[in-house]
Amino acid sequence: MTTMAAKIDHVSEDGIRRLVDAFYARVRQDAELAPIFARAIPGDWGPHLDKMYAFWSSVMLTTGRYKGNPLAKHFALPGMQPALFERWLALFDETANELFDDDISAEFRAKAVRIAESLKLGLFYRPDRPWPPEAVR
Amino acid sequence: MTFVVTDNCIRCKYMDCVEVCPVDCFYEGDNMLVINPDECIDCGVCEPECPAEAIFPDSEPGLEAWVKLNAQYAAVWPNISIKRDEPDDAKAFDGVANKLEQYFSAEPGQGD
Repeated sequence: MTTMAAKIDHVSEDGIRRLVDAFYARVRQDAELAPIFARAIPGDWGPHLDKMYAFWSSVMLTTGRYKGNPLAKHFALPGMQPALFERWLALFDETANELFDDDISAEFRAKAVRIAESLKLGLFYRPDRPWPPEAVR
Repeated sequence: MTFVVTDNCIRCKYMDCVEVCPVDCFYEGDNMLVINPDECIDCGVCEPECPAEAIFPDSEPGLEAWVKLNAQYAAVWPNISIKRDEPDDAKAFDGVANKLEQYFSAEPGQGD
């Protein structure tokens, strides 16, 4: 019999590390996301994970630790599709729910959804085409 | 989707927002800041940081003109990512109505 560890009830740098580590472990096993990430990060994942700790620290703890241009980074990825964002969000939410209590995982989800929508618009929105793109696929 | 800087930034220009922005999307005019809507990732980190409560999501009604103004001047003003001191009279201007008509300057700020 296993005991469930208590869920985390606040956001901290340590909690962010655990979330990022657990999330990307899942991403790397995921049939849809793994190939995209494997192409983007063919070698050491250390620098990417460090960047993601800093990103989520900036977003959730307003530390200003991350400075970058995530839209440009995503633009450079071959094979990007709007549906990949939904898969990313589902895995992220699942991971956050396992680690954090309902309030905190909802905070992570709210931020992730907003940022994903913004990146999707930046990557795929064209004034002459319908939005959202899923509707016309 | 983006956040936008609105009227109450004018002549307050506290600049707390620029330190927390993860994507450095603030641009500096002579007496206010704007957000580049093409660079903002909608994370919302800046909104509660603004002492003048001048930053809003563009999903709020009635902000169309501000969205345009932010986009227009983000294209010509210099980027700012390092906070400086606010103007000496910032506090006196916090909450003054209709600052756009009375005080807005289209001149660029100094940037970083």
